[in-house]
Amino acid sequence: MAYYEPIRELDEAPLIEPGSRLHDITEDISRVSETKAPPGWWIAFSLALCGVGLFVASVGYLFWRGIGVWGNSAPVYWAWDITNFVWWVGIGHAGTLISAVLFLFRQKWRTAINRFAEAMTIFAVICALIFPGIHVGRPWLLFYVFPIPNQMSIWPNFKSPLLWDVFAVSTYFTVSLMFWFVGLIPDIATLRDRSAGKIRRTVYGVLALGWRGSNRHWQNYERAYMILAAISTPLVLSVHSVVSFDFATSVIPGWHTTIFPPYFVAGAIFSGFAMVMTVLLIARTVFKLHRVVLMRHLELMCKVILTTGMLVGYAYGMEFFVAWYSGNEYERYVFVNRAFGPYAWAYWTMVGCNVLTPQVFWFKSMRQSIPVMFVVSILVNIGMWFERFVIIVTSLHRDFLPSSWGMFSPTVIDLTTYIGTIGVFFTLFLLFMRWLPMVAMAEVKGTMAQADPHYHEPSEHGHHAHEVHKAHGDASAPSKGLAPEGA
Amino acid sequence: MSKREDTQGSCGDEFPPDYLTTPPSDDAAALGRRGFMGFVTAAMALVGAEGCRRPVEKVVPYQKLPEQVIPGVASHYATVYARRGDAVGLLVETHEGRPTKIEGNPQHPSSLGATDLLTQASILDLYDMDRSRTPKSGKKAASWADFEAALKAGKFEADQGAKLHVLLTPTNSPSVVRLRGLIKARLPKATFRAYSPIHEGNIRQGAKLAYGAVIQPVFAYDKAGVVLSLDCDFLQTEAGSVRANKGFATGRRPVVGAPMNRLYVVEPTLTTTGAAADHRVRVAATDVERVALALAAHIAALRVPLGPLGTAADKLAKLGVGDAAISEKWLKAVAKDLVNNRGRALIVAGSRQPARVHALVHALNEALGNAGQTVTFASVLDPEEADPIADIAALAKDMADGKVGTLLILGGNPVYDAPADLKFAEALAKVQVSVHLAMSEDETGERCTWQLPRAHEYEAWGDQRALDGTVSVQQPLITPLFDGRSEIEVLSLLTAGQESTGYDIVRATVRADLLAAHGLSACGAAGVDGKVDCRDVQDNKVPFRVADLDRDWKRALAEGVVRRGVPSGPRGSVRMADVAAAFEKSSTSAPVSKDSLEVVFVPCSKLFDGRHANNVWLQELPDPITKLVWDNAALVSPKTAKELGLKNGDVVKLTRGERSISVGVWLNPGQANNSVAIALGWGRKKAGRIGNGKGFDAYPLRTTDAAHVATGVKLSKEGSYDFAVTQEHASMEHRPLARETTWADFQQHSNFAELQEPTPRLLPLWTPQDYSKGNQWGLIIDLNACTGCSACTVACQAENNVAVVGKVEVARGREMTWLRIDRYYVTEEHGSLQQRTGATEEDPLVVHQPIGCVHCENAPCENVCPVNATTHSPEGLNEMAYNRCIGTRYCANNCPYKVRRFNYLNWHNDGVWAKDGNVPDVHQMQHNPNVTVRFRGVMEKCTYCVQRIQKAKIVAKRENRVIRDGEVVVACQQACPADAIVFGDLNDPQSRVARAMKDPRRYALLGEIGTKPRTTYLGKVRNPNPEIV
Repeated sequence: MAYYEPIRELDEAPLIEPGSRLHDITEDISRVSETKAPPGWWIAFSLALCGVGLFVASVGYLFWRGIGVWGNSAPVYWAWDITNFVWWVGIGHAGTLISAVLFLFRQKWRTAINRFAEAMTIFAVICALIFPGIHVGRPWLLFYVFPIPNQMSIWPNFKSPLLWDVFAVSTYFTVSLMFWFVGLIPDIATLRDRSAGKIRRTVYGVLALGWRGSNRHWQNYERAYMILAAISTPLVLSVHSVVSFDFATSVIPGWHTTIFPPYFVAGAIFSGFAMVMTVLLIARTVFKLHRVVLMRHLELMCKVILTTGMLVGYAYGMEFFVAWYSGNEYERYVFVNRAFGPYAWAYWTMVGCNVLTPQVFWFKSMRQSIPVMFVVSILVNIGMWFERFVIIVTSLHRDFLPSSWGMFSPTVIDLTTYIGTIGVFFTLFLLFMRWLPMVAMAEVKGTMAQADPHYHEPSEHGHHAHEVHKAHGDASAPSKGLAPEGA
Repeated sequence: MSKREDTQGSCGDEFPPDYLTTPPSDDAAALGRRGFMGFVTAAMALVGAEGCRRPVEKVVPYQKLPEQVIPGVASHYATVYARRGDAVGLLVETHEGRPTKIEGNPQHPSSLGATDLLTQASILDLYDMDRSRTPKSGKKAASWADFEAALKAGKFEADQGAKLHVLLTPTNSPSVVRLRGLIKARLPKATFRAYSPIHEGNIRQGAKLAYGAVIQPVFAYDKAGVVLSLDCDFLQTEAGSVRANKGFATGRRPVVGAPMNRLYVVEPTLTTTGAAADHRVRVAATDVERVALALAAHIAALRVPLGPLGTAADKLAKLGVGDAAISEKWLKAVAKDLVNNRGRALIVAGSRQPARVHALVHALNEALGNAGQTVTFASVLDPEEADPIADIAALAKDMADGKVGTLLILGGNPVYDAPADLKFAEALAKVQVSVHLAMSEDETGERCTWQLPRAHEYEAWGDQRALDGTVSVQQPLITPLFDGRSEIEVLSLLTAGQESTGYDIVRATVRADLLAAHGLSACGAAGVDGKVDCRDVQDNKVPFRVADLDRDWKRALAEGVVRRGVPSGPRGSVRMADVAAAFEKSSTSAPVSKDSLEVVFVPCSKLFDGRHANNVWLQELPDPITKLVWDNAALVSPKTAKELGLKNGDVVKLTRGERSISVGVWLNPGQANNSVAIALGWGRKKAGRIGNGKGFDAYPLRTTDAAHVATGVKLSKEGSYDFAVTQEHASMEHRPLARETTWADFQQHSNFAELQEPTPRLLPLWTPQDYSKGNQWGLIIDLNACTGCSACTVACQAENNVAVVGKVEVARGREMTWLRIDRYYVTEEHGSLQQRTGATEEDPLVVHQPIGCVHCENAPCENVCPVNATTHSPEGLNEMAYNRCIGTRYCANNCPYKVRRFNYLNWHNDGVWAKDGNVPDVHQMQHNPNVTVRFRGVMEKCTYCVQRIQKAKIVAKRENRVIRDGEVVVACQQACPADAIVFGDLNDPQSRVARAMKDPRRYALLGEIGTKPRTTYLGKVRNPNPEIV
């Protein structure tokens, strides 16, 4: 190690492909929105738009006729609607975890994926929020859930976990959006500075909020980012805990469980990481981000998936233990029914996808195989959808009175609504990838060797002067000494 | 402002009508720029405002208030509704001249304040959208005058009516019998016949065989300690079920130290009565006779004098009982029980059993001293009435032979329901003039030359005799909606023209009964002095004031009873030898086997013989036993199904000789092996938009020689079919839901239900709400009284405007019934009885548990609703604010009792009505104006009939007093013939409900989870014979 290179911890691998210049990063990321979209993007985008069309048609039909166009029945009053809601909220969690929690814990490897993950959070939460909105019987009266003063002095019911949900998820969405946007400012400024056209310059100019990269700007930015990270962090835990209260505070066996909040949070992170991985692998390939998103990042994500997968597996086991240990007949029945009843296939799909599949990540070769990762991430997404399905449907379909037991079977509209929201998600995501810096350039640069105050360009390199000039030319390049690691 | 004087009555228009539209300037042409802009802007604004509103539809209130009608205040009129062999007295709730709800008449002996299922639903038949609207000649609309002219043109007097045939239905109406006499006097050669597929023919023939005269047995179930039913579903489909329910429940109130009645049932298919039995044996319908004989032999062996019948029974019984399910031990024990309870036992036989079985039952009841105690006898209205099967066969023959010139079919639907071998439709084509009087243009109507719209019972004057001879006047509650006329009005066209209106006919008929109440008879016409000359018992001439007669008539109308039934005169002794001879003469059919099945034609508990097929409530009502909706099925026992390789939803072809039908199979526990039961009345082709093509028609298999049971039927598999049921799971899964015990255990542990409570009971976290003040409503359901007859479910539907959803939606579990009846099969493994019962999944015990919203004091639904749409009232009601509900369905998820119902679609234009686009207007006339009709996306559930509570509160407040016990009667309670439901104020220590709360059998369903329900249950007590178990 040369004297002019920053001191690294033992065995610390570089987070950016060695030899990359600051400008390379700017180029790699900004290029995407400045050049024509690759054919792959267009294909994906048109598919996603089809999904949006499907969504609009399905919801239109739903509004026209009523909830009965779905397969929801009695006793299964909630089915795919809430399954999808919880699934999407859960997916969102990884974004906040990566961008806020890992930020506070100084996990610098997050920089390659945090923008991605945050964007995913926003779009996943949008998809999630759609469901509580459309699943009510009379969506035109949805405003009743908000505490709006009215002439009849009727307030929403503050005892209802569903109302807590409204607040929790909307807070989460707002904070995530702010966090994401604040993080975007320096990078948007970079795009602005590179803009050729007038429209681009105006739009990015407005979005950059007058960012000039001054010391004061950086100072305020760092502080705001830190505060928002601190606000977001408890939300990671609270939102899915509150979502789990929808179930945990009820009296229905299989729902009425104290393990739900941590279990749901672990599951959310699990599914979120899987979704980030799915999307990231596609983007990395399509937009050739190999310089920024290294195998090391992917491997770390595999480890997180393995860990949270086992946490979730533990929760599955513990539920059974508690059901047996409680001595409650109804509770016992629900769990036996889950594993061996008419929905056993769903239960074992869930266990297979969520508990067994991630076990391949014990092996380094698997953690480094892109196809394996992709397949596992998809399976985990499927498994986590089934987890919510199992919790909601199998608990409801056989509760206290056997006379009211029944089965649930989805309709085509259930399916198209769900696929439609996937279309909405990917449409938003593809637009994001196309028009906004999908990797946090400023933050990535902060993890590069060049960001270290002790960094010294090797003189034999011959590009020193040019490099320094370039670094100072980027508005988003962190000024030395103010890098996120605060060295 | 001078114009205001002109608009008198349009109270207080703030501005004269032209105020806004007149521009401020007098001269419109001189409109300046500003004025023009103002005018145009205002006009535009008004255009927009108009677009926001629905078009105004003006409703004109009464210009002159009709007498006795107060808008918003319902009135109740007494009337009567004819039911199988009986008539149920009613008080019909009427809103502004629109009958909406049927309630029982406490004064009437066949109602005693309650009603049965079909009577409850009959109100919807009145508003059937497919009713005939006008008389039709061929396919052309005609008028009644046209018909009358056509009838006159028949010139029946010429041949004394030789070619005139009239087909009636077996009637309870004295006016019909009287008019028939008048017509016979005028046209002596006219032929009158009566047919109905479900009838009392065997009962009448049985009485004739036993006593030599047709007399009507009237059973006093309340006095019976031991009841043996031989294929008699007296609690549901047989005649007089309301009074039977009432009596049976009365004899079955478990009190420690007091005896309780015991019911033995021998039957081929599980019926409501079988489900209520303490001991039930399933045997093929053709084997019931053998069981009866074997029992008679056992009874005779206990030195009960049966004379020659005893010997014959012994001899015949030795031939063996067809089914091994019935053991000697069982027979011996039942015989002993009956003999030990002489005078307070009761044996009844079902109407599908042959006359000789009825005669045998009479013999046994006489020999055991039950006759006169638990069985009394009434005279019948029309002793000349022949056997309906013989009657219709004779008519078909006459028609085929061309002997029928004019045929009047007054009621009934013989083309659909006559025995198939008569080929009634073909014979009908040979009749020159055929006239069909019916509610709708049905299978028979479309083949007749004249179709006449029939007035519904609630639209026309009439009179009806109840089972015990009580006569009531059928009062019209509304003028005929569709120009209909009643049976008697049409009959009167054939008389010499004595009376023409229904009112006159009925008054003339009833006059004799009214005068008989004063001991008068042989009365003449009213004289000029306003008096009628009559003769009293001593044959003295007594004048009677017409004014008094009017007073009596009015009282009869108000009370709903003209004359109470009187027991028949001396009945003589049973002709044992004749009965024995009848048995010896009869050929015993071969025992059933899987290659030679028997098919039992069962009256449908919902559609009866098919006449209610277009009644959407009944179509969607779960069958009391199978819980099937919108269908009937071939019910087979699980064992037979296994042997024949059948499963639920298979379609099979049942073949008997050259006749066959295709029908879906449903596995029915408790069904006799190798016996198939099919409910009649389904598979209608011309019932109307609701009933067409629903279920499977069994009539094509039914012939004159197999009118009730067809033997030697072969079965082959054909295809598959989708059924919809409201309850898919029949076992209680070891959960203490419908709690029960045996009478013996009850003597020791009267609080057995409480003892079955799982521990630990969850304690409240917070200080419980104080409910010690004011009215606190509560409801108690006695599981021991409930037979699952389902009258309450329909009553609730009628009272609360509960929507119907259609078969597809029911299959998704979206039925809307607020009050459902859970039916559990109890087997030895899955039961809470402390005793061995021998019940298996093949042959289980049954327990019914009606359940609507239980109004939890700690309601799980309330705290999860995000918008406070369901809240608790200070009186302990769990209330729904429909306007506030946004339909998250969270409450329904969190309801442990699953009693909440969600409007998944707008059931008023979707589901059943999707094709029509809306609930038919005429159907909407049934709606209770005091109950909101719910829109889609809204949750609903039982309200404890809050509109009835409010009504009582208003009355009590105006009279400045507290609500009295019994003043609020909820709809289900009102309908219940077994008095299984008690509602009232828990804070009133004298109320029935408060007293029932102290019953040791009381328990709270799922009370252990801490919901504190206001609806609680009284546990069921079975009374098995210790010698059998």
